[in-house]
Amino acid sequence: MKKDIFRNIAIVTAIFMITLSTMLLVNYLEVRNVTPLQSEIASTLKTLNESGAASSSPDLAEQIRELDLLARKAYFVREGHLKAGVYILLAMAGILTLCLRFYFEGTRTLPEEDIAPLDEWLLHSKSRSYVLGLVGALAVVAIVLGFLSGKYYSPGKAVDGVPDTSLISDLPPTGGTVGGKYDEDPEDAPDTLEDGDVDNEEVKDKNEEEGGAKEENASSDSKEAGGEESGEKEEVSYSKVTSNAFRGNTSNGQSSARGIPTAWDLQSGKNILWKIPTPKPGFNSPLINGRRVFFTGADDSERVLYCVDINTGEELWHLSATDIPLSPSVMPAVNPDTGLAASSAATNGKAVAAAFATGDIICADMEGNRLWARNLGVPDNHYGFASSLLTYGDLLFVQYDNDSSPKVMALSMTNGATVWTKERRELATWSSPTLATVGGKAQLLVMGNPHVCALDPLTGETLWSVDCMSGEVGASPCISSSGTVFAASENAKMVAIDPSSGEVLWEGNDYLPEIASPAATKDLVYIATSYGCIAAYSTSTGELIKDHDLGGQFYASPVIVEGKVYMANTDGKVYIFSAGEGFPLIGSIDTGEATFATPAFTDGKIVIRSNDHIYCVSAAQ
Amino acid sequence: MMKGRMDKKTAFSVGRISAAVLSLLLLLSCPALPLGAQSRFPRPDFESGYQYPELSYAVPSETVWGWIDVSVLLLLLCVMTWAVHRKRTRTPIIISSALSVGYFGFFRGGCVCSIGSVQNVALALVDPGYHLPIYVLLFFLLPLVFALFFGRVFCGGVCPFGALQDLVNVKNLRISRPLAKALGVIPWIYLSFTLIYALTRSQFLICRFDPFIGIFRLGGDFGLIVFGVALLILAVFTGRPFCRFLCPYGALLSLVSAVSVKKITITPHKCVNCQLCHSSCPVDALRPPYGNTGREESRTSSVGRVLLYALLIPLLTVGCAFLLRSWAPQMSLANKEVHLLKLVTYSEQHPDGTPTPEVEAFYAQGRTKEELQRSVDKVHSDFRLYGFWGGALIGLVIGLTLLSLTTRRKRPDYEIAQRECVACGRCFRYCPQNMAAAAKPVGSASVPSSTDTSSTPESPSQSI
Repeated sequence: MKKDIFRNIAIVTAIFMITLSTMLLVNYLEVRNVTPLQSEIASTLKTLNESGAASSSPDLAEQIRELDLLARKAYFVREGHLKAGVYILLAMAGILTLCLRFYFEGTRTLPEEDIAPLDEWLLHSKSRSYVLGLVGALAVVAIVLGFLSGKYYSPGKAVDGVPDTSLISDLPPTGGTVGGKYDEDPEDAPDTLEDGDVDNEEVKDKNEEEGGAKEENASSDSKEAGGEESGEKEEVSYSKVTSNAFRGNTSNGQSSARGIPTAWDLQSGKNILWKIPTPKPGFNSPLINGRRVFFTGADDSERVLYCVDINTGEELWHLSATDIPLSPSVMPAVNPDTGLAASSAATNGKAVAAAFATGDIICADMEGNRLWARNLGVPDNHYGFASSLLTYGDLLFVQYDNDSSPKVMALSMTNGATVWTKERRELATWSSPTLATVGGKAQLLVMGNPHVCALDPLTGETLWSVDCMSGEVGASPCISSSGTVFAASENAKMVAIDPSSGEVLWEGNDYLPEIASPAATKDLVYIATSYGCIAAYSTSTGELIKDHDLGGQFYASPVIVEGKVYMANTDGKVYIFSAGEGFPLIGSIDTGEATFATPAFTDGKIVIRSNDHIYCVSAAQ
Repeated sequence: MMKGRMDKKTAFSVGRISAAVLSLLLLLSCPALPLGAQSRFPRPDFESGYQYPELSYAVPSETVWGWIDVSVLLLLLCVMTWAVHRKRTRTPIIISSALSVGYFGFFRGGCVCSIGSVQNVALALVDPGYHLPIYVLLFFLLPLVFALFFGRVFCGGVCPFGALQDLVNVKNLRISRPLAKALGVIPWIYLSFTLIYALTRSQFLICRFDPFIGIFRLGGDFGLIVFGVALLILAVFTGRPFCRFLCPYGALLSLVSAVSVKKITITPHKCVNCQLCHSSCPVDALRPPYGNTGREESRTSSVGRVLLYALLIPLLTVGCAFLLRSWAPQMSLANKEVHLLKLVTYSEQHPDGTPTPEVEAFYAQGRTKEELQRSVDKVHSDFRLYGFWGGALIGLVIGLTLLSLTTRRKRPDYEIAQRECVACGRCFRYCPQNMAAAAKPVGSASVPSSTDTSSTPESPSQSI
């Protein structure tokens, strides 16, 4: 009778516990998914608040506070319920255990029959086998784990979710180390070709040799493409070498791409993979990330971020910069040479952001879903806002130079929140920031007028500053493979700076760029001027090594890739120089279309934006 | 057929209730839920220049609590010693277990514990800069001292981990002795790795992989809580799986208790070989009488086997030592400096990626990669050194275990294997001699002797 009571209590308690546990689990799952501060309404309100509307609208601020309070209240109430539930559950578990103990009281385990004589020898013999077996099994497990852990921590594998975005680092040197293979030793570059007769065969052969490795390193986009096309088409692989911003990943005028075509013909279509008309005008440069090519365009009616497929040129999606609080309804007056979409977009592989002359910044995920948008205020800039964006992990750098409130900002790519702001006492510039690593630490190189400076990308703190610029600064800085920073601007001078100390190493003023930014290898720094001259200086001494007067104007910046320097002028001529000793011209292509934007490179492909078209040159054609 | 066994209906009910226990204990992992949710909620996000007031914390009175803990520890050890050696009754042991679970477990959150104190002591031995509080040292020493004099009374009802497993134990399914013997090596391996990681200042493995701490604190790593709950479920059906097959401190205690001054006995009187206690021990520490006549073997063969395994000991010791030394690079990956170097190197090679908080902190501290590399070289060197000695310990234990399995010894009566006995006291109530002694003072003439079996109860179930 007594036992029945305990048994019944145990059963009732068990049923109660199961019910309660289910409720707790549901409650937990609900609480886990609640992110009140990241809801759409909260994000919109926060964006409004950040844009400055809150200060002029107390109601809005009050609304945000109420929402915040409500969200927190709801969260903590639920959490309180969860905790109380767990306490009750534990108490029930105690009761259950007690009941079970009382229930089993007196039913002890006793030998069922006469105990068989013990054969301890047999036991010992068996035990020895078991011990040896277990030790062997443990040793095998340890060896396997050792191998697995070694593989897990291998440098080529992403650690803790850090995305692997390129095969070879595109970051400028770390205190003298070299980013790209050919930067370090231009002699390793494919042999130079005859002027005007650029042959692709050798590059093709090299690509074929490296084919296996390339396939292994194909980006995740390959799976994506295969999945989307559900077997109708062959799976397409995409290079991991990205061009995530203006002039490459770090805006330094370098790319680690391989197998770059050196000949094409826009008219006949030779080596042209695809060609599409530019949907809307803009001088910004295209970006490449996996299968996606990004660029922007704007006119008085609309400002748009475009994404097209790198293999077909087909539009994957586009996103208009609309419904942005405080965005001006009337377009600001800008110089026709600048336009409304001079700033190149930037991506970190998870999201892509674009800026326009209206001060609008929009950010979308890689599928074109808008993540956030905000207006920084129309820049007080007499030519128009032209600084390109740059990403560093989750940070998006905006060199928001203008005459009234110049500043550099770091925004979160995730939600657009301002991470830091660096107010500057500079005149307006049209330059873009560059990322470099100096002594193992990242620096954000920023041109100004009159200061060239380096900021800590994580905090915005000034690391060094050099007073050396004047006039209208349009070019961006660069850093050589040997770790020297170069800043140059027409009507000012060219300055070589030691980024570890901010010390000026040498100065020069033979050839100075107006719009195109310099690029540098370990030994040479290349300048492209707006009066058609290009020049190579020694990075260590500043000595002019060679100059070429090619005519036309260079607005697009030179890019060093695969041991060559690619430069496009406004007449549509693309010049290819060897980045090696002597700086010889090894080829040129007359595209016939005026080109202002800097080309973007990935393995085997160049994406070029001309005035009228965007096209992809591919070695495979 | 023995009396006192359950009938079919009861067995069916027991099965159902056992199944319920199984599923419910799984659901006990719910305590992990609130903590996991809590950490995701940020503090108010003011972006209007609002300055947070500086946080101030009350100075914790940990020292006071530490001494209170030591006092409770000492008190419970004394109670256990009295209960196991003097009274030979389980009731005070249950009370002590409940107090231990309540106080050391739920109230103090399972810290400080004697099991984890092994790491503190080890670290203090090699790091002069590491402050080892006296009460932590006492937590390490007191159970060992008591084990030296009285056996594993600490395990019986003072250790909250053991006590928790003991309190939920309902059934006593036996694990085959050879398997238990083999699994008994694991605590030593765990102890070796614990020492290696503590001595290299890498990690406190015991704390990190503590299966019960999440239950005591009503939150923590979900996987570990599930592991802890799984151990408790096992503990429902078989005695103390954690203590027997995992606990590194238990390994030390078993070593000391083997030479304890006062051995734990079921009864102070002569064993009458009634066999009632045979199945009572949840950790299978009761050894039945053995006449050593099961298998006859030539003396030469026996001696040869002993010599073979004796020779294996140095081989195993040196082999394991070098094996573990060679795994130093893999083992060192768990060291934070080594991990940081990997992250920094990776971050430098992949500047486009998101820098991890560790990398950001590294640069914010103004540290250089060269300095980090030097630190990592030192860590590798330490891992090689302590890996060698840790491996030697593992090899030695395996060798000695194998050697112990080559000898044989006569046992005229039921005996307690002191190394394995956790002093839970379950056997006390099975022994008619002990029950009789409990009813009458020790030394009473009416206590049955081994030759006087007339007072042995006819029905064991009635006698207990």
